[in-house]
Amino acid sequence: MAALDQKSPNVLLQSLCCRITGKSEAEVAHQFQYAVRVIGSNYAPTIERDEFLVSEKIKKELVKQRREADAALFSELHRKLQTQGVLKHRWSVLYLLLSLCEDPRKPSPRLGSYGALFAQALPRDAHSTPFYCTRPQSLALSYGDRGSGGAGAPGGLSTTVGTSGIASLGVYSLNGPSPTPQSLLAGQPPAGGTQALGSRLAWALPVGSSPSCALAPPSLRPPLGPVALNRGVRPRRDGDPNAEVTEGALVRDILYVFQGIDGKYIKMSLSENCYKMDAKVVLCKSLRDTSGRLAELGWLHNKVRKYTDARSLDRAFGLVGQSFCASLHQELKEYYRLLSVLHSQLQVEEDQGVNLTVESSLTLKRLLVWTYDPKVRLKTLAALVDFCQGRKGGELASAVHAYGKTGDPQMRALVQHILSLVSHPILNFLYRWIYDGELEDTYHEFFVASDPNVKTDRLWHDKYSLRKSMIPSFITMDQAHKVLLIGKSINFLHQVCQDRTPPGRITPASQSTHTHKDAAELLWDLEGVFQGKIDAAYFDTSKYLLDVLNRPYLLLEHLQAMRRYLLLGQGDFIRHLMDLLKPELARPATTLYQHNLTGILETAVRATNAQYDNAEILKRLDVRLLEVSPGSTGWDVFSLDYHVDGPIATVFTRECMSRYLRAFNFLWRAKRMEYTLTDIWKGQMCNAKLLKTMPELSGVLHQCHMLASEMVHFIHQMQYYITFEVLECSWDELWNKVQQAQDLDHIISAHEVFLDTIMSRCLLDSNSRSLLNQLRAIFNQIIEFQSAQDALYRSALEELSLRLQYDEQRRRREAQGEWGVTAEQEAEEAKRVGEFQDTIPKMRSQLHILTHYYQGIVQQFLVLLMTSPDQSLRFLSFRLDFNEHYRAREPRLRASLGTARGRRSSNI
Amino acid sequence: MASGANANMNAVRETMDVLLEISRLLNTGLDMESLSICVRLCEQGINPEALSSVIKELRKASDSLKASENSTT
Repeated sequence: MAALDQKSPNVLLQSLCCRITGKSEAEVAHQFQYAVRVIGSNYAPTIERDEFLVSEKIKKELVKQRREADAALFSELHRKLQTQGVLKHRWSVLYLLLSLCEDPRKPSPRLGSYGALFAQALPRDAHSTPFYCTRPQSLALSYGDRGSGGAGAPGGLSTTVGTSGIASLGVYSLNGPSPTPQSLLAGQPPAGGTQALGSRLAWALPVGSSPSCALAPPSLRPPLGPVALNRGVRPRRDGDPNAEVTEGALVRDILYVFQGIDGKYIKMSLSENCYKMDAKVVLCKSLRDTSGRLAELGWLHNKVRKYTDARSLDRAFGLVGQSFCASLHQELKEYYRLLSVLHSQLQVEEDQGVNLTVESSLTLKRLLVWTYDPKVRLKTLAALVDFCQGRKGGELASAVHAYGKTGDPQMRALVQHILSLVSHPILNFLYRWIYDGELEDTYHEFFVASDPNVKTDRLWHDKYSLRKSMIPSFITMDQAHKVLLIGKSINFLHQVCQDRTPPGRITPASQSTHTHKDAAELLWDLEGVFQGKIDAAYFDTSKYLLDVLNRPYLLLEHLQAMRRYLLLGQGDFIRHLMDLLKPELARPATTLYQHNLTGILETAVRATNAQYDNAEILKRLDVRLLEVSPGSTGWDVFSLDYHVDGPIATVFTRECMSRYLRAFNFLWRAKRMEYTLTDIWKGQMCNAKLLKTMPELSGVLHQCHMLASEMVHFIHQMQYYITFEVLECSWDELWNKVQQAQDLDHIISAHEVFLDTIMSRCLLDSNSRSLLNQLRAIFNQIIEFQSAQDALYRSALEELSLRLQYDEQRRRREAQGEWGVTAEQEAEEAKRVGEFQDTIPKMRSQLHILTHYYQGIVQQFLVLLMTSPDQSLRFLSFRLDFNEHYRAREPRLRASLGTARGRRSSNI
Repeated sequence: MASGANANMNAVRETMDVLLEISRLLNTGLDMESLSICVRLCEQGINPEALSSVIKELRKASDSLKASENSTT
């Protein structure tokens, strides 16, 4: 006893062997050899040298065996032991005792229980798709995990090395002939082998002198070599880079790499952007490959982490981006959970030390299998992160959605889960928008954009627009348009119509759908519920809007008023107005006053059927004077006007009104021609009888009649065309469309189409400017003809009255018994008559010129009509030249008619 | 010097008694002699883990040896 320190360990070991087996030294040689091997290869302890920890463990063990009294006794004994300063390695002894401790009731220690634990834990982690919403605090939690893991790292790393070595060694030696894996033998670098052997020999040197060693050298030596070579004598110092790394150390390393922390041997290589095994580490190829494959997980994890870390604090990234980050965090949390299970397994293994057998220990191969599913998930996430780089809002959702189109059900479930989180804010936007008309999109993520600079009068047209890029791919363009329209209608009602109906009343469907819990399901049921909701909201809102516009705001009445007044639909009113205005408008434009004209307008309204119209409409009717250019008469500048404001102005925009005014001007002019021709005809009828007494005029008058009837025919046809083929047809179309319109946009577009047709058919668009010019020229000719005929009649009537005067005078004198005429008077009379008769050829030639010129223009017009692409205009030309009167005179017309006909026949 | 050695011896004996008691409590199955050998080994810095595994294996080996002897005899 006194010579406690004097005997060498080998001697002690041998006596221990003898003691335990109860055999002589020679008999236990085999066992002794084994003992030396084990002890020698595990020089450094694998656990922390903490006496307190060991004693606590012992107490726990006792308590576990329900021997609380013994635990108290032990602590008493332990205290006594501490007071004695004899033992230097108290913990070591205690640890030994603890390891040898056996529960009398439980003969076999636990075996493989961790494998079972893993088998349970792993599947749950692998396809858990949590539906609860986790906020980024999970991140902090995982940081904590990692921190504690990191703190334990240095001790852990230095202690792992021997664990697996012992466990497997024990098994191999028990099984007799060591079944060393071929790969290990093959991949063994010779340098490592000699190094390990060297250290082993150094350890064995003192043994050489002892008798026990000499006893069995042949049996001791041969197995020593292979064992030392294969199982890797643990390096004495862990920093030794040339020693071979054991699998246990690699497992520990890999677990850190999984979390993105550089391991001892496996480090992030910045140049190649991947985890690389330290080239200096001696390792067989298969382990190197396996750890390389495992390290990919760490790289993927880093990628996802980097993205979420960068984005989660970026407020401008928006709600959609934040929820994307949150979903990534959630997935990472699941991943961390798996890692922590692995870690605890490793920890337990260390604590158990040798007790564990190989079946339940962590190996790289096992890790490879267990991390297969998480790796697939992380790969998907990393791909997503790559794809979503630089996207936000709806674009991000589209990107995620695109990834959901895969055949792998697991991956699809994952992506769909992420998508349901990502699309949650979008759906929130959407519901707020279609049910309340509110747009709370601070980060411009929603696909409806609002321009705050637009005033309410342009609200419908300009304020809201679609952000094409932000439309998620699971929402069709048609749906997006409807969504835009719904919210726009609600806003329009609120801001323009001043309609304060609560949103719930507009769309009865909204109450039931205000619970957004089914947001995720909605996404996958686009055909059914979602579409139905949008349609219902669209239908209800639009209908309500149209009702509001039609009832209190009289939209349809206004439309009709436009037609009646601005498009001259109310015949009696227009005719009467023209009658009243004629004296005014004949004056130069500069002498016109608006208030006079307004008075006349009111008179005309009161005198005609227009008075029965709605006061709301009549109130808006007004006179407008166009810009006065020098020399223009009242006819040129007069125009009716119709005031529009409020919601109505959305349909009758300023552009619309200016087109209405242009149409009015054209129609007014045409109407004036008709009116003028009526006057001409009236003059002819009245004067025909009077002027019969002047036979020398008959030729001229005939000429007048011919020209006038030509003009009347032309204007009649024109009026017919304008009234029936242009206005009435377009109006009928418009009215039908308006009656069937589902939303305001339909009405607006129908109205636009209506105006467009009128513009083009009335030759007011840019394509038919030449036609319009010809028509203007014709109109001017009519005016000129009117003045010419007026002059003719005036002079003729003057002459007539003079002649009548002369006759009267002569008759009176004859009645008085005097000479009817003196020679003087007679000569005078003859001279005057001669002078008058001299003017007749002049008139005649003037009329001739007029006629010629007029016919020229009409022919020109007809040629243009013939070549016009519009069919209705070509038909107009047939009507205007029904008896081929002009065709006979105009060779060009003949040619073009011929070609037109030829073309048509060739078409058939 | 002699008294010092004596005191030392006493202390060692006491320590061994305490350890034996603990060993008994923990039901390790070690007798005084093997315990003292183990303590000595531990004091020399042997890995207790390894030592415990060695002891267990030795026990198993002797058990199986005895069993085979019983069956053969």
